[in-house]
Formats: sequence, C-alpha cells, structure tokens
Amino acid sequence: MAEKRFDVTHVPGAALIAGVTFLALYVPVLILVVNAFNGGDMAGQWEGASLRWFAAALDNTAFRNAALNSLIVAVSAATVATGLATMAALAVSRGRPVKGQGGIFIILNQPLLVPEIVFAIALMIVLARLKQVTGYQGLGYVIAAHTTFCIPFAFLPIRARLAGMDLTLETASMDLYASRFYTFRRVTLPLLLPGILAGFMLAFVISLDNVVVSSFVKSPGQETLPTYLMSELRRNLTSEIYAISALLLFASISIVAASWVVTRTKE
Amino acid sequence: MLDIRSLSKKFGSGAGAFHALKSIDITIEEGEFFTLLGPSGCGKTTLLRMIAGFEQPSGGQLVLDGKDIATIPPNHRPVNTVFQSYALFPHMTVAQNVAFGLEARGTNPAEVAPRVDEILEIVQMAHLRDRKSSQMSGGQQQRVALARALAPRPRILLLDEPLSALDLKLRKQMQFELKRLQGELGLTFIFVTHDQDEALTMSDRIAVMEGGTLQQVASPRSLYDHPANRFVAEFIGEANFLPGTIVDGKLFLAGSPPVPLLREKKSRGAVAVMIRPEQVVVGATSEKAITLDGRVESLVFSGTDTHVSLRLQNGTTLSLRSPNTSHAGTALADGQALQVSLPIDALHVLPEETADAA
Ligand SMILES: Nc1ncnc2c1ncn2[C@@H]1O[C@H](COP(=O)(O)OP(=O)(O)OP(=O)(O)O)[C@@H](O)[C@H]1O
Ligand SMILES: [Mg+2]
Repeated sequence: MAEKRFDVTHVPGAALIAGVTFLALYVPVLILVVNAFNGGDMAGQWEGASLRWFAAALDNTAFRNAALNSLIVAVSAATVATGLATMAALAVSRGRPVKGQGGIFIILNQPLLVPEIVFAIALMIVLARLKQVTGYQGLGYVIAAHTTFCIPFAFLPIRARLAGMDLTLETASMDLYASRFYTFRRVTLPLLLPGILAGFMLAFVISLDNVVVSSFVKSPGQETLPTYLMSELRRNLTSEIYAISALLLFASISIVAASWVVTRTKE
Repeated sequence: MLDIRSLSKKFGSGAGAFHALKSIDITIEEGEFFTLLGPSGCGKTTLLRMIAGFEQPSGGQLVLDGKDIATIPPNHRPVNTVFQSYALFPHMTVAQNVAFGLEARGTNPAEVAPRVDEILEIVQMAHLRDRKSSQMSGGQQQRVALARALAPRPRILLLDEPLSALDLKLRKQMQFELKRLQGELGLTFIFVTHDQDEALTMSDRIAVMEGGTLQQVASPRSLYDHPANRFVAEFIGEANFLPGTIVDGKLFLAGSPPVPLLREKKSRGAVAVMIRPEQVVVGATSEKAITLDGRVESLVFSGTDTHVSLRLQNGTTLSLRSPNTSHAGTALADGQALQVSLPIDALHVLPEETADAA
C-alpha cells in the first residue's frame, strides 16, 4: 500500500475549485433561508429576524392546498413506484432471465432517455383528451405521471441492495422447510427493507420538487407546491415565497437525512 | 437409509452439456458418518445439492426410507444442510436463526422455545442466544449453523466443507466435536471435504470421487490398505508404483527374480505394484519380500522420521521412511547404495492404467 497513487487533492488549485463549487452550491440557498427569516415588509430588505413570513405562509389557504396536493402526489407516486420498482428488481435479479429483459431496462430508463419536457407535452396532449372523455379532473393524472419518473429512482437502491444479498440465504431458508412466500416474507423482504425505504424516500423527494411534468399535467386550478411557487413568482417576489421555499428545503433535507440514517443503521 | 441409484447430473444441453455426475450408486446406512472426498470440481457439491433438493437429477433415483425423493422440493425433504458460508440470517439473533426451521415447518410455538434451548445447549451456544448472528466469530457461526440445521430433527444432515473457513486449531477441535455430536445423536451425516486427513479421521466410510464418477466406497482403513485403483492410492496418502507383470501367479519386477504372490494365481499381464513408503523396509527382513538395490537420491528430515528418496537400478524412484530412532536413519547419506525389502504382504497389485500405456 506504500505505492503512490494519483491523488486528486494534490493537484494545485483543487482546494480552490472545491471551495468555489461549494460556495456556488450553497451560498444562494443560504441567502434564501436567511431571507425567509426577514421580519420586514419588503423582500430583500433586512429588518431583523422573525418568523412572521412562516406564519403568513401557514395561514395562506392556497399554500396549504398546494402543500397538501404535493404531499398526496408524492406519497402516492412514491408508494406505487417503490412497489413496482421492487417487483422489477426482484424479477431482474431473482427469476430466471425472462424474455424481453432488455425491454424492462428500456421502460425503467424512460425518464433518462426521453427529455422531460417532451414527455410532459406528450402527456398533456393525451391527458387533455382523456380528461375530456372521462370527465375526471383529479390528482390521479399527476400521480400517474409522477409514478413513471419515480420508478428508476426507487429501482436503483433496491437493485443495489438485492445485488449485494447472499443468494445462499434464500437457499438456506428453503432448506429449512420454508415455502417461497415464507422465504420472501421472513428473509428476502426484511433484508431488502433498507433498500426499499431508501428507494421510497428518493422517489418521494423527486416527486416533491417536480415542476415540468406537474405544470403540464395538472388540471386548471390544481397546484402542487412547486407549481404554486412558480405562479406566485410570476406576480411578485415576497418574503413569503422565501419562507415556503425554506420549508420545502427543510422537508427535503430531513427526508434525505432520514433515508441516510435508515440505510446506515440497517447495514 | 439413503439409496443413491444411478444418479447422474448434466448441466446444459446439446454440445455444451457437461456431465457433472455420471451414474453414481451409493447406499448410505443409518447413523453413518459418510464422507464425499475428491479433488475440486469432482462433483461433491453437486451430489450434496441433489440430496438436499437444490438441483434436479438428470437421471436415477434417490430413495430415502423406501421412497423416491428425487422430485420432492427442498422444503419438503427431511434433510438439512450446513453451508460452507454458514448462510446465517444476518437480521436475526442466534435463537431466531435456530428457531427458523421449526417455525417455517409450523411446529407448535410452545415446542419451539424448548427445542431451541436444548439444541443451543448441545452446541454450547446458549450464552449467545440473543446475539445478532453477524456479530460472531467463525467458530461460533459454525456452531449456530449446526444448531439451526439440527433443530428440526432432520433424517440426514448434509455438511458441505463446513470447516474449511476455520483456522487449523479450531478446525481440529470442530472435527472432534462434530464426530462426537454425530455419535451422540446417532444421526446420519453426509460430509463433503477435499481434505483427506479430515476424511480419514472423521468418517465411518468414504466415497472417493473423481471427474463425476465414484472411484471407491470403503472405510478409511480399507481405502488406505486396499485402494481400488491408482487414483485412490495416490489421493489417500502417499504411494509408490512399480511397473511389473504377472504370469502364472508370479510377479516379475525389473531388477528382481520372479516371486510367487499369495493372492494372485492367474496371469494378469502388465500391472502397477503399489507399496506405501512406510512399508518399505531398509535392509533385509525375515518376512517374504522382494529385495531391490538403489542409491539414495535425497534425504528430508521430518522429525520422527526421515523421508528417503531412492533411485532404483531399473530407473524408478521409490520413497520410504527411515525412523530416526534407529541408527540406520542417522547413518544414511546422499548417494549411498542401499538395499530395501518390499514385503510381499504389503504389495498391492493394481491394474495398469491405460492412460499410462498410451
Ligand atoms: N450450475 C452449474 N452449471 C454448469 N456447471 C456446473 C454447475 N454447477 C457445477 N458445475 C460444474 O460441475 C462440476 C462439479 O462441481 P461441484 O461444485 O460439484 O464440485 P466440487 O466437487 O464441490 O468442487 P469443490 O471442491 O471445488 O467445491 C464442476 O466442474 C463445475 O464447474
Ligand atoms: Mg464444492
């Protein structure tokens, strides 16, 4: 191990680049968070710290409706996507190679292959017609659309977890009188759970901050948190928007942190 | 009693097919410590996996207590396995691991806990019953794996190289304990190893395998004393082979007058005569023996005796042991001329392998 390896941190200026990148990534966010705590009437003019804009946001029915919609969409889409991703991961790594295995990957990677805006416009055209025919205008369309692009994000950690799992554990379970289903319930699933939780949280966060697909698919009058923020921004920049953005940020950070903790402790 | 009848296994099909096992016939008795021994890739694991039910035979039968179990899925076979990697469930405690087979089988919950305690007591792991299985040493995991496989009271216990991951000292200790446990439980063990010493010390009977075929099934003693062929003779212990011919019950070896053999009466043509190094006598002997002359080629001191390599006049090399207690051992020197005796009783006549003739 005494061998010298190429160490990128020793390249001149590496620390500088890292520092600048870090600042570029986090300073704007920090400014936003600070502004959310501004007590003044005018956005951007500091007049002492206060929680008044958080209070105003929580008092705002439009915001509360949008937040509730976002929550419903994210929970539903992440749940369905995680379920499907779990099945896909099991099919790909457990069953004997199925016909059209390549097809599964094409489906799973659709969000990477098809530009989001193209997918959104295509969905809008189809769904507009569907809404007309069925008369149903609800959140179901947004949920379905979000599910599609959440699947690959849910799939990755589940697949990784399965790949790292010792197949002899399942063999041992079968050897000990367990049926396939009993093996799945008592061996495979518990061992897979950290991966499933990580997949769910990733999918949840991805759904929570989607703007493009939501704006094209939602029915008139429906808002998710990001689309609500977009439309508010178009009118004027208030400290309340900072506060809402900060809330969204906190929610996102806590979920990612929680997922990190869960996968860590379950190792 | 497990009757393995003409069992064969082919992996793949068509031109790429591979015959991992070719028509194996073995009868394993009740309460026997039976070992499958052979070099890597000879099909030991494949045979064990077929008995466990993880692999479907391509032909033949597996008859347990008069019933063909070859097509019964593994979770319905009264056979449990101790895996080489132990395969303990990492999310469960020791006790939960041991209870698994009982629970999966639907044993009355009131009977599970006492059985788990009993079996953990037997393998001396009761004090670690609430430990996570991932937080244990190799030897401890080994005991838990054993307990888990024993708890549901299988008819046969299968062990695939269970000791190969342990260091030498622990390995010796576990060999002893496994053997003791098997005796106490009176359970049939089918044990896989490629370590001949392990096989010789532990087994009631050993099946020597090579290239998917059975070479010989016998007790350790008779495998060593009466190997059926050259492969077995070489695989179990060390062996010297001398080319010869048998005509009318007389053995012709180069460099020695023909000697009458006790067991062979007929002519057999070209044969290989096998003798173990420790049975070669330095100098003359009172027994009926063949005497041969040679020159000492190398001497390797190994504690209790010295390994001598002798170049015979006919060109073949003969290895023998010279005990270091005798003065003869200390007197030997490189290049020295030496006469050795091969007692007739210690000679084993094996068919000359056709591969050598070619
Ligand atoms: N699923 C499989 N598909 C194809 N060939 C296989 C398969 N399983 C085993 N084999 C082949 O069958 C032969 C016997 O394998 P097996 O695992 O039984 O050997 P083994 O005697 O247990 O060896 P080792 O001592 O190395 O464990 C090997 O040549 C192996 O490559
Ligand atoms: Mg093997």
